[in-house]
Amino acid sequence: MPEREFDIVIIGSGAGGGTVAKELAPLAADGRRIAVLEWGPKLADDAYSGREVEMARQLYFSSGGVLTRDKTVTMAYGRAYGGSTVVYTGTSLTMPQSVMDRWNTPGVDFDDLQRRSAKYLEENNVHLLDETELNDNNRLFRDGCRELGFRVRQFPINVKGCRSSSLCNLGCPNGAKQGTDRVQLPAAEAAGVEVITNCRVTRISDGQCEAVVADPGFGLPSAWEEGSYRITAKVIVVCGGAVNSTALLLRSGFAATLPTLGRYLTLHPALILVGEHPSPISNFHGHPKSFYCDEFAESEKFLLETCMYFPFVTSKNLIGFGAEHSELMRAFPRLQMILVLAIDPALESNRVKVDSNGEPVVDYTLAPSVLDSLHRSMVASAKIFFAAGAKRVHAPAGVSFFIDRDDAHRVEEMIPRDNVIPGKISVATAHPMGGCRMGRDASDSVTDSWGRVHGSRGIFVADSALFPQSSEVNPYLTVMALADRVAEGVRSNAGELLSS
Amino acid sequence: MPMMKSLSDDHAELFMVIAQTVTPEVASLDADGRARMTAIVDGALMERDLATRKQLGTFLGVIRIAPILRYGRPFPALDPGRRTAVLRWFENCPVSLIRTGFWGLKALVFMGYYGQPELWPELGYEPGFDGREGVRHA
Repeated sequence: MPEREFDIVIIGSGAGGGTVAKELAPLAADGRRIAVLEWGPKLADDAYSGREVEMARQLYFSSGGVLTRDKTVTMAYGRAYGGSTVVYTGTSLTMPQSVMDRWNTPGVDFDDLQRRSAKYLEENNVHLLDETELNDNNRLFRDGCRELGFRVRQFPINVKGCRSSSLCNLGCPNGAKQGTDRVQLPAAEAAGVEVITNCRVTRISDGQCEAVVADPGFGLPSAWEEGSYRITAKVIVVCGGAVNSTALLLRSGFAATLPTLGRYLTLHPALILVGEHPSPISNFHGHPKSFYCDEFAESEKFLLETCMYFPFVTSKNLIGFGAEHSELMRAFPRLQMILVLAIDPALESNRVKVDSNGEPVVDYTLAPSVLDSLHRSMVASAKIFFAAGAKRVHAPAGVSFFIDRDDAHRVEEMIPRDNVIPGKISVATAHPMGGCRMGRDASDSVTDSWGRVHGSRGIFVADSALFPQSSEVNPYLTVMALADRVAEGVRSNAGELLSS
Repeated sequence: MPMMKSLSDDHAELFMVIAQTVTPEVASLDADGRARMTAIVDGALMERDLATRKQLGTFLGVIRIAPILRYGRPFPALDPGRRTAVLRWFENCPVSLIRTGFWGLKALVFMGYYGQPELWPELGYEPGFDGREGVRHA
């Protein structure tokens, strides 16, 4: 088996791995060898076609259709040079202090998180879009919320030269989104960090990892030949995302000494809701996610966000089938969409496991409180659609496929809680969090507050797996802030960690 | 030549029959559209492990024979109204495993049909890399 030797190996290149790579890059300039091992491919700029199935296959694990063990939740997370930052919408929120207080992680405080978040707000060119850049789909949501007195805010977005393709979730064809593929990874590579794509790490231990390079049949070639590798590294930083980072540690035997490994997974279970307007609105041109409503975040545990999805994703998120379903799909230019994110509790029983082949299995049950949140979110969304002028609304738990405007005053009874049935309604997630939670010691957590795995010499975690609970807002900026902190810890202790 | 690598011809044909109930427009697809649909579905299934493909085959078999109990005929021999009734039963089944199985099957049909960019203009969905004009003019 070919061997490679590095001082530092970073596994994954998304919000966590890209940040760590850039922050540790000065060590490369000092002669230290640093590699980023990324499972996914790097695509050429002209490979971003905007074709839904094709891009999903190239940029997401299982085309964005990873299922939980009970098959009630579909998980979408990226696999590419840049990880999920290639396929997110770039919404950049600093996690609120109230959430940090609930995390109650010894050694991590809000001021530290805020300072680091601010650094990436600037680095990623985060700003509010101008009113002239907002499409009707977004404006109608804002206006509907205001009409109802719901608190609504504009998302800060990390774009530069956005041309309003609305294709963010399929990878920006204009290179406008300032993900790690555009900002942190190129900076790291310029400073001497090596990035190896198409490289799946299969096992790790202190000082060593095993990896396989395989050509997926698309994208640019990897820097390494196809085959299996043994890689030595004094420091290993695991940044493969909540599911795959956790699965890697489980596969590598860490559960024997870390009883919480894999547990307390949260997902931000999501619904896509649709309202139909009487005439066309601008929806599939323009940034898809410009506003959010956090009116119900504390009271009912859900966020509402604007969104605009593509035909297949839209179709599978509608309940039912047949003529009514087709009728709604054929109203595409008149559709307004809202994304619900339920704020789910961190339960010990919700966890990442691995099967007999070492593959991740997400054992997650939608808690009754989450189903309550999803129900209330449908009612609130229906009200927003009608307040914005929709002629009818499709709610997955509705008593009929459409709720007509004449029944707008009856949405509470038209969307009964009993109709929120897992496995019937489409629940998805793009925000898996937890599994390697930070904490005090091995009895309550997997890593310390600097991301170092308890009991290890040089193994760190730096991604959303660290979250002890849900971030309660879109998580990427918090991932970058925590990854920045992990990198600082490694840099500060480089003398000890990188000694022979 | 088999219709799909992932499903037997029997199952692939049954899948297309079910697809016409899930998305009625499937019935009017031309040969190219049907070929694109089976290619998309086949590609998605080949990404999954063998066990998942076998589960789908079993599930399709259940849909084929389940109507015999109620209507005395297998699914492909039913009229459109009864086909819809059978699939509604699967969608609302109290048994989670059957509900989620139907959800997965339905998602495959939608992927095969709505995943075809060639059909997007019929929906009025016409994205472009530069959408700035479209933002201003609905």
